[in-house]
Amino acid sequence: MVQSWRLRVQHKTGFTYAGKVSSSYNEARMSPRNEPHQAVLDARVEVWPPARTYKYEDYWGTAVTAFDVHAAHEALQVTATATVETLPAGDRLTGDGASWADLAAPESVDRWHELLLPTPRTALDEELTELAESIKSAHATPQAFAMAVSERVRAEVEYQPGATGVQTDAVHAWRQRKGVCQDISHLVVGLLRAVGMPARYVSGYLHPSSSAAVGETVVGQSHAWPEWWAGRWMAFDATNGIPVGEQHVVVGRGREYGDVPPLKGVYSGPENTGQGVEVAITRLR
Amino acid sequence: MADLFEDYRLGPGWDEMFGEASMPRASYEALHATLQPLSSAELGVRADVLARAFLDQGITFALKGVERPFPLDIVPRIIAADEWRTVEAGVGQRIRALEAFLADVYGAAQVLADGVVPRKVVVTSAHFHREAAGITPHNGVRIHVAGVDLIRDEQGTFRVLEDNVRVPSGVSYVMENRRAMAHVLPEVFASTRVQPVDSYPAQLLRALRAAAPVGVSEPTVVVLTPGVFNSAYFEHALLAREMGVELVEGRDLICVGNEVAMRTTAGEQRVDVIYRRIDDEFLDPVHFRADSVVGCAGLLNAARAGRVTIANAVGNGVADDKLLYTYVPDLIRYYLDEEPILPNVETYRLDDDADVLAHVLDRLDELVIKPVDGSGGAGIVIGSQATDQELARLRERVEKDPRGWIAQREVALSMVPTLVGNRLRARHVDLRPFAVNDGEKVWVLPGGLTRVALPEGALVVNSSQGGGSKDTWVLTDGLTDPAVLEEALDPPVTVAPASQGPDPGPDLGPVSAQQQQQQQAARSTPC
Repeated sequence: MVQSWRLRVQHKTGFTYAGKVSSSYNEARMSPRNEPHQAVLDARVEVWPPARTYKYEDYWGTAVTAFDVHAAHEALQVTATATVETLPAGDRLTGDGASWADLAAPESVDRWHELLLPTPRTALDEELTELAESIKSAHATPQAFAMAVSERVRAEVEYQPGATGVQTDAVHAWRQRKGVCQDISHLVVGLLRAVGMPARYVSGYLHPSSSAAVGETVVGQSHAWPEWWAGRWMAFDATNGIPVGEQHVVVGRGREYGDVPPLKGVYSGPENTGQGVEVAITRLR
Repeated sequence: MADLFEDYRLGPGWDEMFGEASMPRASYEALHATLQPLSSAELGVRADVLARAFLDQGITFALKGVERPFPLDIVPRIIAADEWRTVEAGVGQRIRALEAFLADVYGAAQVLADGVVPRKVVVTSAHFHREAAGITPHNGVRIHVAGVDLIRDEQGTFRVLEDNVRVPSGVSYVMENRRAMAHVLPEVFASTRVQPVDSYPAQLLRALRAAAPVGVSEPTVVVLTPGVFNSAYFEHALLAREMGVELVEGRDLICVGNEVAMRTTAGEQRVDVIYRRIDDEFLDPVHFRADSVVGCAGLLNAARAGRVTIANAVGNGVADDKLLYTYVPDLIRYYLDEEPILPNVETYRLDDDADVLAHVLDRLDELVIKPVDGSGGAGIVIGSQATDQELARLRERVEKDPRGWIAQREVALSMVPTLVGNRLRARHVDLRPFAVNDGEKVWVLPGGLTRVALPEGALVVNSSQGGGSKDTWVLTDGLTDPAVLEEALDPPVTVAPASQGPDPGPDLGPVSAQQQQQQQAARSTPC
C-alpha cells in the first residue's frame, strides 16, 4: 500500500501600510494543483478586506488567484488554505535516465529550450560556469551530475534566513555562500542549465518533519527546490538534502522565482511598513 | 516654359510612373497628362498650399524624439486595380496566417511541436508575453489592425518588408493626405477613379464592435492614448473623433473586479472594447512595468475573464518579430495550406548556421542588417552606406548576438516622381497598407501610407534626415470618363502669388542608394 500523507497547509501573507491604501491589485500563486504526485482535496484563497477573486491558470500551469481591493485599508491579508495528499519520492529521484547525447539531441534542445536559458536570477558568472563543467566531467550521467551539483551547492551555501531577498540572484548568493531555498534552487537550476540540462524552479511548501505526528500543527515553510530533465523530470530538495516526497507540496513551476511569486501586485497608497508570512502545516493522516 | 518632367531620369529602382522614359504606364496616364502642361511655378504654388495646410494642422511625426513636419509630396503614387488585388489578397493572407500563429503560440503551440517554427524563435522573442497565454478573444481576432510594410523590388514585385501587428500607426496620414490632395489636384481626382479612404474609421469601429465581449449588444469602444506628448496623439484623437468614441488616458479608466469603466463627468461608464495605442509593457502595471502611469491596473485579467477586449491583443509582438518574419511563408503554408501571395525580401537568419553567419559577416558591406526587435527603422545598418568603423562595430554586435539580427538583400526600392525643387525627380518609396480584421474578413484600406525618401539639403547620409509621404491612389476598374475629365478643367484651388513658391533648395545631385537609408530612417516614424 502506498504511504501517502494528507497535509493541510495554511499560508497567510499580510501587509501593513503607513496609511490608507485606496486600491490594490494582486495575484496569488499559493494553490497546489493536481498532478501525478499529489491530489488536491481542497484549495481556496481568502482576502481581507473582502474581495472577489478570479482564478486562472497561467502559462506555466500554475493556479493563480487574482483580486483587487477598492475599500480603503491599512492592512491586507491573503490566506491560502489547501488540503493535499502527497506521495513518497518514488521515481523522482532514481533511475538511469537520459544520456548526455540524449540531452544534446536537437529535438530535446528544441523541446526544452525555454528551460535551458539563463534568467535574471539564474544567470551564472564564469566561476560558476566552470564549476558546472568540472562537476559534469566527473559524472557519467546527467542524473549523477545533477545530484552532485545539488550536493555541492548544499555543502557550500549555508542556509541562513535573511541573508538574501527575493530579488537576490544566484551569483550573489554564491559569493556570500549564504542563502535560502530560493537561492539554492536558483544556483542548482543555473548550474544544470549551464551544461545543457533542462531545469526548472519549483515553488511549494515543506512539512519540516519526516516523522510528522498526525493532527499536530507545526510551522511550515514556503519552499523551493529544483527539478531537472533526465529523460523524465527528477526532483531533489537541494536545501535539505532530502528527496522530494510526502513532506513536499508543489504549487508551481517556472524558469525561476519570477515566474511563480507567491504574491505580487501593485497598489495606490502610502508605503508598505511591514510584511508577515506564516505557513502552518498539519499532517491529517 | 520648362516641362516638369524635363531631365526626369529613371533611377535605380522600378519606376512606378514610367515603363520607359517619357512613356507613362496606363495607370499614370491621366495624372501625367494633368501634370505635364503645368508649369513648375504652378505646381510649386500648389505644393506650397499643400505644405501650409499640413503645417497649419500640426501634422508632424517624431523622429528620434524630435517633431518634424511630415511633408506630403504633391505627386500621388498610383496603384492599378489589378496590382491592388494582389496586395489586398496578400496582406489578407498574411494576417490570417499570423492570427492562426498567435492563437497557437498562446494556446496549444502545435506549430512548435510540429517543428515548423523552432521553439527558440518564440521563447527568445522579447515580445512573447507569457502573460497573454490563455487570453482567448471570443471572435478569434488578435490583430484588429495591421500595417504590413511592402516594397516593390527591381522587377516591380511587391514584397513584404515587415509586419506590424502591435500598434501600427500612420493611417491618419492616409486620411489627411487624401483630404489635402483633393483640394490641390481636384482635376485629377475628377478624371481618375480613385478608391476612397474615408471609410477607414467606420471599418475600424465595426471591427472593434465585433470584438466586444460576449453578450454585449451595444458595446462602448474607447481609444486609449498615452497622452498628448505621444508622437501619434494627433492620430489617436483623429480616430476617436471620426469613430465618435471617447479618447481616454489610463487615468480615466478604472478596473474593478474585471469590469472596466471610464470616469466621465456623468459618472462611471462601462467600457467594453479598448483600442489601445499604448505598448504592451505599459498597459497593465500588474503584469508588466509596475511603474507605468499610462496604463490601467487590472486590464489584462479583465481581458482574460472575457469582460473587456483589448485591441490589438497583448503579446502580438511575437508575430512581428523580424526573425519570425523569416518563417511567415512557412506559416502561410502550414496554417492555410496556401502559397504566399506576397513574397518576403530575401533574408538570412544568423543564428542557426555558422556558415550563413560567416557568409553574412563577409558581406556586411552589401547587405542590410536589422535588429530583430528594433521598432521601425531603429538600429538598421545599410552596409553599402556604412563606414568601415560602423561595419566593424556592427560585426562585433552581430557576432555577440546572432539571434538579435537578420540580414537582407539591399533592394533598390521602387521610385515615383517627386517634386524636388522645381522639377520632378525619381525618389524611392515604400507602402504601408492598413488592414482591419473584424473576424469575418480582413479588409484592406485601398491605399495606405506611401513614404518617400526626400533628401533635404546636402548629401550627408544619416538617419536624422526625414522623409515625406505621398497620397496613395488605388484605381477602380474601368476607364476614365471623358466627360468628367473636361468638367474638371476648371482652374483649381486658391493660389498664392507665384513668388511664394517653395525654395528650390540646393541641387541634390544624382540620386543614389543613400535614399534607401532615408527611407529606412523614415520607417521608424509613424511606426
